[in-house]
Amino acid sequence: MSSLLVIIDKAPYGHENALSGIYIAIASLDRGMDSDVLLMGDGVYAAQKNQSADKTIGYPSVSELIYSIFPNGTLFVHLDSLTQRGMKYEDLVEIAELIDGKTLHELSKSKKHIIKI
Amino acid sequence: MRITDTNNRKSSHPKVMVIVLSDGPYISQYADIGYKMAQKALELGYGVKIFLYMDGVHIPQKDQNPRTLPNISQSFEELIEKGCEIKACIRCAAARGYMEESQYLEGVEITSVYDLAEWMDENSKVVMLGS
Repeated sequence: MSSLLVIIDKAPYGHENALSGIYIAIASLDRGMDSDVLLMGDGVYAAQKNQSADKTIGYPSVSELIYSIFPNGTLFVHLDSLTQRGMKYEDLVEIAELIDGKTLHELSKSKKHIIKI
Repeated sequence: MRITDTNNRKSSHPKVMVIVLSDGPYISQYADIGYKMAQKALELGYGVKIFLYMDGVHIPQKDQNPRTLPNISQSFEELIEKGCEIKACIRCAAARGYMEESQYLEGVEITSVYDLAEWMDENSKVVMLGS
């Protein structure tokens, strides 16, 4: 079985990337790949809970869409990126899992494909 | 210096480079870099597949006329002639008004992101180019 890590490093709504990255993860999970999503840098904002983009700017809520990867895929959030932005684990959607630098290294080594979007 | 990979040429299932392009042409160098990577990989006997995602769907549009820059659509036409498979994301294409196949270079297929997922197998390696 092939494997994929989708790394998102842009905030949602300012760019299409977060939404598009999640779609790649959903499609690859549907095709039986071992796929996960990693949010780094400004990408961590995609995991902030209680987003209301659908009601305010008419854009699909990334924090709701991201639940589509669960439970076969994991949503990793880079701990340092989160801390640097003054955010806490409690601010995130329930499926988020924090990841430190060492574990991130192991995760990326374990994946056949990596897409940074 | 010429670098060759004879092992890959001899294989009945050559390894495949999957290039994902997410920027449009001219706004950045990524389309041109993708073209050069694909051109060289084909020359070395590798399979090459290009998936056009987000603004990448602008790349293989017909009738481009960049007056002062190399015409990227002609470059991609050359890749198709050499056996490169090119697909464009239907969601991205619809958002940008490119749903008619006649708008694209001959050989470009409008398809879904699920095809990209199927390209990412044990025999391929994916390279994402975009800002």
